[in-house]
Amino acid sequence: MASKETCRTELRSAVRILSDRCLYSASKWAAEQLMGIEQDPTKNTPSHTRFQRGSSSIRRRFRTAASGDPSATPSAGVSYVSTPLMAGVEEYDYGAIDNDFYLLAKSYFDCREYRRAAHVLRDQISKKAVFLRCYALYLAGEKRKEEEMIELEGPLGKSDAVNKENVSLERELSTLRKNGTIDSFCLYVYGLVLKEKGSENLARTVLVESVNSYPWNWSAWSELQSLCTTIETLNSLNLNNHWMKDFFLASAYQELRMHNESLSKYEHLQVTFSFSNYIQAQIAKAQYNLREFEVVEVIFEELLRNDPYRIEDMDMYSNVLYAKECFSALSYLAHRVFLTDKYRPESCCIIGNYYSLKGQHEKSVVYFRRALKLNKNYLSAWTLMGHEYVEMKNTSAAVDAYRRAVDINPCDYRAWYGLGQAYEMMVMPFYALHYFKKSVFLQPNDSRLWIAMAQCYETEQLHMLEEAIKCYKRAANCNDREAIALHQLAKLHCELGHTEEAEFYYKKDLDRMEAEEREGPNMVKALMFLAKHCKSKKRFEEAEVYCTRLLDYTGPEKETAESILRGIRGEKLDVEHFPS
Amino acid sequence: MAGILKPPGNFALTPHKVSICILVQVYAPPSEISVPFPFSSVSHHNSLGIFLLSLTKACDSIFEPSLDELIAQLREIGGLLNHWLSDHLTSRLSSLASPDDLFNFFNDLRGILGGSDANVVDDDQIVLDPSSALGMFVRRCLLAFNVISFEGVCHLLSNIGTYCKESLSDCPPFELSHLDDSSNDPELEYESMELENFVFEKVSEEFEARKLANERVSFHSHAPGALFELVEDTDFAPSSSGEHIDRPREVSPCAPSTSDTLRGTDRPGGTFLRTNWQVQGYLSEQADAIEKHGSSFPLHAFESILKMLQKSAPELHRVHFLRYLNSLHHDDYPGALENLHRYFDYSAGTEGVEFVLAPSGCSGLGRYEIALLCLGMMHFHLGHPKQSLEVLIEAVQVSQQHSDDTCLAYTLAAICNLLSAIGFSNMTGIIGASYWPVAGIGTSSSIQQQLFVLLRRSLKRAESLKLKRLVASIHLEIAKFDLTHVQRPLLSFGPKASTKLRTRPANICKELWTSYHLISEFTDENAIMAVDGAFCTSWLQNLKKPTGLLVFSQENGTRGDSDSFKFSAQPSSIPGSVLHLLGSSYLVRAAAWEAYGSAPLVRINALVFATCFTDSSSSADAALAYAKLIQHLAVFKGYKDAFAALKIAEEKFLCVSKSIILLVKLQLLHERALHRGHLKLAQQLCDELGVLASPVTGVDMELKTEASLRHARTLLAANQYDQAAAIAHSLFCMCYKFNMQVQNATVLLLLAEIHKRSGNAVSGIPYVLACLSFCQSFNLDLLKASATLTLAELWLSLGPSHAKKALVLIHGAFPLLLGHGGLELRSRAFITEAKCYLAEPSFSVSEDPEMVLEPLRQASEELQLLEHHELASEAFYLMAIVYDKLGQLDEREEAAASFKKHITALENPEDKDNALSNLP
Repeated sequence: MASKETCRTELRSAVRILSDRCLYSASKWAAEQLMGIEQDPTKNTPSHTRFQRGSSSIRRRFRTAASGDPSATPSAGVSYVSTPLMAGVEEYDYGAIDNDFYLLAKSYFDCREYRRAAHVLRDQISKKAVFLRCYALYLAGEKRKEEEMIELEGPLGKSDAVNKENVSLERELSTLRKNGTIDSFCLYVYGLVLKEKGSENLARTVLVESVNSYPWNWSAWSELQSLCTTIETLNSLNLNNHWMKDFFLASAYQELRMHNESLSKYEHLQVTFSFSNYIQAQIAKAQYNLREFEVVEVIFEELLRNDPYRIEDMDMYSNVLYAKECFSALSYLAHRVFLTDKYRPESCCIIGNYYSLKGQHEKSVVYFRRALKLNKNYLSAWTLMGHEYVEMKNTSAAVDAYRRAVDINPCDYRAWYGLGQAYEMMVMPFYALHYFKKSVFLQPNDSRLWIAMAQCYETEQLHMLEEAIKCYKRAANCNDREAIALHQLAKLHCELGHTEEAEFYYKKDLDRMEAEEREGPNMVKALMFLAKHCKSKKRFEEAEVYCTRLLDYTGPEKETAESILRGIRGEKLDVEHFPS
Repeated sequence: MAGILKPPGNFALTPHKVSICILVQVYAPPSEISVPFPFSSVSHHNSLGIFLLSLTKACDSIFEPSLDELIAQLREIGGLLNHWLSDHLTSRLSSLASPDDLFNFFNDLRGILGGSDANVVDDDQIVLDPSSALGMFVRRCLLAFNVISFEGVCHLLSNIGTYCKESLSDCPPFELSHLDDSSNDPELEYESMELENFVFEKVSEEFEARKLANERVSFHSHAPGALFELVEDTDFAPSSSGEHIDRPREVSPCAPSTSDTLRGTDRPGGTFLRTNWQVQGYLSEQADAIEKHGSSFPLHAFESILKMLQKSAPELHRVHFLRYLNSLHHDDYPGALENLHRYFDYSAGTEGVEFVLAPSGCSGLGRYEIALLCLGMMHFHLGHPKQSLEVLIEAVQVSQQHSDDTCLAYTLAAICNLLSAIGFSNMTGIIGASYWPVAGIGTSSSIQQQLFVLLRRSLKRAESLKLKRLVASIHLEIAKFDLTHVQRPLLSFGPKASTKLRTRPANICKELWTSYHLISEFTDENAIMAVDGAFCTSWLQNLKKPTGLLVFSQENGTRGDSDSFKFSAQPSSIPGSVLHLLGSSYLVRAAAWEAYGSAPLVRINALVFATCFTDSSSSADAALAYAKLIQHLAVFKGYKDAFAALKIAEEKFLCVSKSIILLVKLQLLHERALHRGHLKLAQQLCDELGVLASPVTGVDMELKTEASLRHARTLLAANQYDQAAAIAHSLFCMCYKFNMQVQNATVLLLLAEIHKRSGNAVSGIPYVLACLSFCQSFNLDLLKASATLTLAELWLSLGPSHAKKALVLIHGAFPLLLGHGGLELRSRAFITEAKCYLAEPSFSVSEDPEMVLEPLRQASEELQLLEHHELASEAFYLMAIVYDKLGQLDEREEAAASFKKHITALENPEDKDNALSNLP
């Protein structure tokens, strides 16, 4: 891990370089991380730092010698001029006129006039200009593609709109790459093009090249991460060691559902970037997936204090609030995001969650739909909408919504689980099993899934108790919070006449209830069984203990306990009087 | 969203249609004299008109020809004009450079239409009647253009651009280097990137559409005059698949030149997305094709097309169903499962059966019972009986819950089919009693009784719902049931009706006849079709055969607005599914006669099927009919003919695993090996037969029985009596467990045979007698005759004093043996007869030598045909003895020599071909 100071200087320069190249989201990310580094109190205030970066930026050379080092040339406040260039040679033949062209192009780009920007740069040969032209063309193509998608939308859904620029871009960039005159930003665009075309292997290679030569471009990292769908591909990447790699790995682990690994990576990063909102949010995400809702809530409260207008990841917070049934907190959050930016999928999702908590499922569906209109591939909205439809008993719509979620991401165990539930509601337990099997395969450590599957096996129609027992056993082994599994195991064993096993599980259940100080009918049942069982096994002392505990309860059980006690005493007497 | 059905997409303008419009303009220029400018004669002019007519009829199909193809076709009819026409076409197309050009073009187009008062125009003047076929087409184009938005116009324009460009880049027609071409034209390369994968795949050669298109092109080049016929036959386009489809092996790898020009047609949804109807029609057609060809359907080529379709039309969920079918028929269990679930998750069982919702109007609920039904059929097809039963029972519940009677009827029929096809020894433990559809009689009664009740109930249900095809197929199922089951009283208490414990052939004939009745009823079925069509029919085929297939096709054939989806192979209005049902009734008939032992009738029924119904039935059924014919040949004509026939059949049907043709081949080889005395080879073949069966209990029972029967016979031939008897015993136990009475009779006969051969005639007799009583109650006449023969042999071996009795028995069985028995049986009878005469003390050879010699001669001839060395040597031995007694020394020597020949052949089987590889 690099020192805080190195990270700081590197990020500072990265923000400038990235924003000069119009890679805004990457530069936003870099700036966030920059602010996340604990400030050195001996240094100047953050507002002054940019005037003092020349001296330290030289240190960066050792990392990226291959691609040419961005050497910052500070100049009074005008950021685009001061941006360090990628190649030292180019810096000099980059005359004033060319620079003017670039300025104009960038202004066009900033006004989202991509084609104009590209046109301005048509004859420019500097790497920066080439990149901006390619990137602008790519974005223009994307914009046109989205328009076309709507124009061509037929009765059967989207038509096969493609980015028309990709072909020429691919040709140009591949030539550049062959010549060796490509820079890391052009490699990033090349990666985008290749990914869209579907040649994932090449896209991965290209993106790896890009991040190895310029590691601070978070957009490239995230593209790369989206191409790593298995741990094998992730491990096969040939990445240079850089602290940015830790960010990448942490986020990739999270996507691959290796939450603990990801958590430890983030915690390691947090040592340096102790104030990073991003890391905090990611930690919250990991904790959320580990179902540590209390922790998540604390983190989000903190996050909102520091960054009150944040919308990213807030849908997760709303999920937590939903799960904890915090009506007012959720409504407050909904109000806040609504005022900040109501046309964000996250905002819609939060409002949908609020209505769902209020039991107004129709309204919540409206908001989830809006979220999906804004982003058709917004996974959690599909799943949440499925939940709403389940609540509304509209199972076929629920099934459809869940299925879309699953087709967007086949690893979404919640949607698989939802599908299973929906079919179980329709009294199709055997059909539902298929989905439950999928969901437990993806999330084998979630007791709720195992319990749902067990209940499916247990239904009257299937009545496959052996299988149900197997599932409950799995559930009991993975931290079953509600302690359903133990009780069910005991009950099923009892039903099947396996008294020894039943005794074992009832005892375990009893211990657990005692430990958690829970009372209830389950307790009575367990005591009752144990009392009877011990009596039949002639373990009278034990039986008496259970019976006396039963006497604390009212109802028929008390009477039964009394009669058992009487029976025990009778038998004891018999034993004493007629010792055999 | 679930349940929301988008309106079927209608007429969409494509560059191809614009080309047709240009040609129509050429054909009917406004205000010209009778023969307009470029044409030389009226007939010349007409030929273009006819061509245009066929083009307009074809334009609803899924594939649109590329500009090249169109020009190629134009050349055929253009004669002298061809250059002018194609040049005109390309120049007009390329002159469309701006949206305004398109506006003007369609404005001009309007001019060629006559007004509504068309009757006042001059005779000389050419005016397109607005209500003629061409006029309608032009009007549809105009309408489509009028409603199109400006964006649409832009897209049409750019599409026309690609359409022309594609044609230019493809211009050198005899170059396969499309890849190189398109690298000059980068845009194309990018677009067709996905396509190239399969375009260059070898499998694409089998790919239907290409093949069809091939046929079409060659059709043009060979007989341009036949265009006239084409016009009569409305299905001009590739959709006329029916007639070509049934020759999957016939199409040789396409010539490179044609496949190159066809590239454009292989992309449904490639450049120009077709309308909903077109795609749906294409899909249902493909579904039929998959079902027909089973595993010989090209898996990967079709899969990639489907993937592409799905990419361009994600809301078309039917594609998932096709993918399911495709994986199912290639025994890809995970793929099939995944796609089935996906299809029903998306469409809730409502898409693909788009026009009719269930009569009960359960549209809001979705129709998941169909999902269950399909899942059950899938498990059945893949040989998972337990899962299948579970799922089907769930389907029964769900359809009861949703009061979906139609689905219930089909599900019950499917359960019947499952029960009859797969051996369940014991139902308890599989099903919770209360959910079993025939809970009334309880699970205590046997499977057969339950099946019986289930069949009658589902028949009643189907009849009341007027599901005619289902009724017919249940009749077939009942016939099959009656064939192999003795009817017993259902009640185990109370006064017993005097039921004769026999099967009733008359009943079976009646059932078969009733099912055949369908064809006459079908003419007035159209009214019911609406209800019935929602569930397809062709999957019904499955109800008759476990190898049959499942498809959800609609009854396109009788729907007016989907004309182009009709099979041209069906000139009559009888849909394929009905024909299929009729065909299978012939197969059942053949099976019935086989059991009853009438060889000629088996042959006739199989022949009728093979000649009349192969087109409309699945390839598995057709293969079955061929197999029957081959077996017949082997038994009656010897192996040479049979193997020749087998060769033909192998060419016709793809010899994949578990196919009936493979089975027949193994049977024949085994039989021959046994006869020739190649016991090692026989054992090897027998083992091979055994591994074809699925390891799951209860599945492939027939195959398993067959394999162990043959195993026992091989051991018997090797004189390993103990082992043979052990195998036969365990086989008997299995048959008893699964209630396979007919097979039991065969096993008993085999046991008797084993005892006979081991020289233990007395203990053999009870087995024969038991077999005889089985035969009697099941009307197995031929088997009975052969059992009688064995009985006679047993009596004979008890000593000469019983020869008379044996002779009487043989003579009693003679009519059937000689009339219907195969070569082996007949010769055995002849030999035994001769032996009886010889053994009988009162018979003297010298008095009446022909009494003995004639049958022996007959036997030896037939056995030589069969290459049955063992029996042949016996025959010659007896002949030699007789000649010796008669003192005819020359003949005696000859017979002895033949005897020696056969004996040595039997003892040294290694001389001849013994490896599997050099067998035919």
